[in-house]
Amino acid sequence: MIGQIAKKEIHHNLTTLRFALMIILLPVLFLVNALMYSLGGDGYMAQVNTHNRQETQKTKHIEDAANKSLAELALVGPGEISKSPSRLIFCADGANAQIPRSVTMVSGGSWSRTGQYETEDYEWTPPWTLEYPLQSKARGTMQRIKIDWVFIGMLMSFFAILFTFDAIAGERSRGTLSLIMSNTISRGQVLLGKYLGAFFTLMVPLLIGILMNLLFILLSGNIPFASEDSLRILGMVAVFALHLSIFIFLGLFFSSRVSNPITSLVWLLLTWVCLTFVFPSLLGTFVGNLNPILSVDEVSMQKEAQLGQLRDEFRPHGGASPYNGLGETASKLSKAASVENPEATRLWATYFTREIETKTRFADGQIDSQFQQVQLARDITQISPIATFQYAMEGLANTGIVSYMNFVKQARRYRQTFIDFIKTEDQSDPESLHIYPVREGLSQKPVNPDAVPVFEEQISYRSVLTQVGLLVLFNLLFFIIAQVSFIVSEVK
Amino acid sequence: MVMLWLVIQREFVSNVLTSRFMIGFIVCLLSTAVAVFVQVDDHEKRLVGYNTAVREAETEAREWELYSKIKPKAHRKPNPLSIFNVGTENEGANTVTVELAKPIFEPSFPIWGAPTQKRGSDNPFLTIFLTVDVVFIFKIVLSALAILFAYNTISGEREDGTLKLVLSNSIPRDTIVLGKYLGGMLSLLPIVLVSLIVALLMALSSGITAFDGNDIAHVVLIFGVSLLYVSTWYLLGLLLSVWTKTAATSLILSMFIWVLLTSVHSNVVTFAVEKFPPYQSKPEAMFLQSASDAWNQFGKERDAYLKQRGYENITKSITWEPETTPTGTRSSSWSGGYFLIENYTVNSIGRADTSIFQEILGYQEQLRAEYAGKAEEILNKPAEQRERNVKFADAFSRVSFAEVYHFAVGAIAGTDRQHYNDFIQNARAYKREIVEYLKDKKAFSSRAWFSNDQGPAELTDLPVFEHQRLSLSESFSRASVDILILLAWNIVLFMVAYVSFLRYEMS
Repeated sequence: MIGQIAKKEIHHNLTTLRFALMIILLPVLFLVNALMYSLGGDGYMAQVNTHNRQETQKTKHIEDAANKSLAELALVGPGEISKSPSRLIFCADGANAQIPRSVTMVSGGSWSRTGQYETEDYEWTPPWTLEYPLQSKARGTMQRIKIDWVFIGMLMSFFAILFTFDAIAGERSRGTLSLIMSNTISRGQVLLGKYLGAFFTLMVPLLIGILMNLLFILLSGNIPFASEDSLRILGMVAVFALHLSIFIFLGLFFSSRVSNPITSLVWLLLTWVCLTFVFPSLLGTFVGNLNPILSVDEVSMQKEAQLGQLRDEFRPHGGASPYNGLGETASKLSKAASVENPEATRLWATYFTREIETKTRFADGQIDSQFQQVQLARDITQISPIATFQYAMEGLANTGIVSYMNFVKQARRYRQTFIDFIKTEDQSDPESLHIYPVREGLSQKPVNPDAVPVFEEQISYRSVLTQVGLLVLFNLLFFIIAQVSFIVSEVK
Repeated sequence: MVMLWLVIQREFVSNVLTSRFMIGFIVCLLSTAVAVFVQVDDHEKRLVGYNTAVREAETEAREWELYSKIKPKAHRKPNPLSIFNVGTENEGANTVTVELAKPIFEPSFPIWGAPTQKRGSDNPFLTIFLTVDVVFIFKIVLSALAILFAYNTISGEREDGTLKLVLSNSIPRDTIVLGKYLGGMLSLLPIVLVSLIVALLMALSSGITAFDGNDIAHVVLIFGVSLLYVSTWYLLGLLLSVWTKTAATSLILSMFIWVLLTSVHSNVVTFAVEKFPPYQSKPEAMFLQSASDAWNQFGKERDAYLKQRGYENITKSITWEPETTPTGTRSSSWSGGYFLIENYTVNSIGRADTSIFQEILGYQEQLRAEYAGKAEEILNKPAEQRERNVKFADAFSRVSFAEVYHFAVGAIAGTDRQHYNDFIQNARAYKREIVEYLKDKKAFSSRAWFSNDQGPAELTDLPVFEHQRLSLSESFSRASVDILILLAWNIVLFMVAYVSFLRYEMS
């Protein structure tokens, strides 16, 4: 019986104007998407080329340093680490242009001083720290909304509303609802039949569109899919289905509440606008600003102040003249670090360690507080199913801010791995003073570049589970309220 | 006339009494209030950042003692109207540091010592959320409401059978169309008006915004354009309602057009232009290279001049009397490829005769400023190219009158790209002004260029960057093309709806 109702619904839907409009718009958008992402500028291939270039540079950088000496490698660091681009960026762009694609672990040049009074000549390299450069100018990109699958999914939810707003209210106003009810069929079955009808009317064109899209991209040959991608795409289709199903239930709910289909559409339309545009964006910005954090300028001022204090304490550039009578302290680091003078080397190590510690504290602290704001905003905006849908797609495509957060987390782990590697290597050299991180305190022997640990990005899809769970929950919730409201509703 | 008034009244009452009016009113009002709340907060932050930056610059300015070391700054003042339309307010640079040897341009990648900076932002990652402001809400929600009011004006009456009754009266058809249009607009008017007034009151009561008469006039203009925009949508709905047989068809059709024009069209166009830019430009690194070549050229020209004067090096032109140690000069040069800053410190300045040195400096530093201008021209090319692409995309976006509305309001509020580019242009003009100022004071060849031993540089009348706000008529003339397009849409849609209804077959 459910099948019959569903069939009747599908037949009815196929002949409507909205169906015609949908099957015109949907393939056009999918083709536009495929065309732009496979052939357009800054596509996957261009990103891969940039990434590979950076990787080669990094390898060369490590090789050069490692062939010189372990100490050199310890000071200049492993170089710039870039995030591997995602093949599925056409599915969920995730504000790709606004999110940085790399972090740097490299030393910023070298300093030298010429001896005067009792300071000795010395040239040193301040050790590297992990830094998070910003994607400098978002002005190069014009718009934040990209024609990706997420955008198409957003439009599909609009069509889901168009297909369901009169499903029950229409029958009621035409008077056919009482005819159906006079049959021996339960109300739950009627609702389910209507649901299935709308679901298939939406999903079949969607699947055809997706297949066209993938076929086009495959033929253009610009995005080489891997086997695991098919699983991710299947996952995305499932997320699509869950997302559309929520809006079908929502439509059925409003449709069963009111007697006039137009009133139901007004409600649905405004709900849709709120869920799509107003809610996620406004709430995101609002929550993001709730607990204010220090601005970039303030952080850098504080950092400079602390580094200045540190410099005043140690005076690596040499002390003031003892004769000028200003009573300034002489340099603690007046002696140059050298193998013969472990005392001085240790002092330099203390200075460097504190410098690294200060820089790291500020850099990590700042980006952590920024991430926290964004995370909170994202968590709250998930009350809108469309936002949840977007985040789930981004998670599966490994794009968006969460993938960058994961990347940063792994980069920090790599930082520790790299330092540990240097220290263990250094232990095996008996001539070394084992004082990290000063050039003179570490092994002067070259290391095998292949032994240096390599950064490998691990992609985790765990965060997607939360969103899928939420989507299922939304489905259940809207299913229940649609069911209940239909059961208690009047036939006329 | 009485008849017309009757039709208007009836249309108005039948609209206002519906649930869609109430729902629409509440949704519009609530979302406007939340948007204003968020934007006021954002604006406050920008103001704090701006004030801090200005204060810091003033403190810094007090420490300038040498003409060669001055670094005046141009700050972009936060625009109070950004509460209504954010536009480019949060984008791009808001501080430009004017240095004589540095070209002012906007690199699209991080560059060392960049002349254009963004100050006072706390979390760049929050830009992943779309900015929603009052105008955005009007653009989306009001247009939907206008359609919901208009879609059944004719087709609905026809389905109810009341159209026959109306037409059987002695009312001419044109009165009916006009009456229905005016009645519909009359019922939309309070929604626009109340939303804007609430927004304005919230902004005023927050206490951080200083709206002057000029700003209020701008808001009134925004109100007018918003009405024009709503009217366009209403007329579109009316037209579809005349053309289609049933209200359901006209509703579906107008909803489809609504989604197409407000959300799909401009996004597709802009994205397409971004992916396939019509104006391709060379990679920016090449422009940096040519800028660096220009600086080499500067070096050659300068050396030629020195040779002509008989010195191999500028510092050789200083003589000390008597010759004592330590004499000599220290010069530091600072170059990022695209600029070349050279500073000179003369040791034992009291015994040094620097008259020829100063003369050469006077030539050299003016030449440097000229070359900085040349480098600026070269380095500005990529930005010009980007701008042309954006203009191209904007031109195609204007097919949708929703975008036309957005552009018009941006131009009126002073938050569109044009205003941002004006800021950069003004900063350049400011730099030229500074150069002229220094020329007038003969600062390039003065002792205070490199040393303060004969008193510090006289900088009390150094020009300060003036922030320019446009007057109402200037804003209006900037938005006039877009307003005209909206007006044209209105006229065309009304004419077509009018003619269609006159030839309407009652069957």
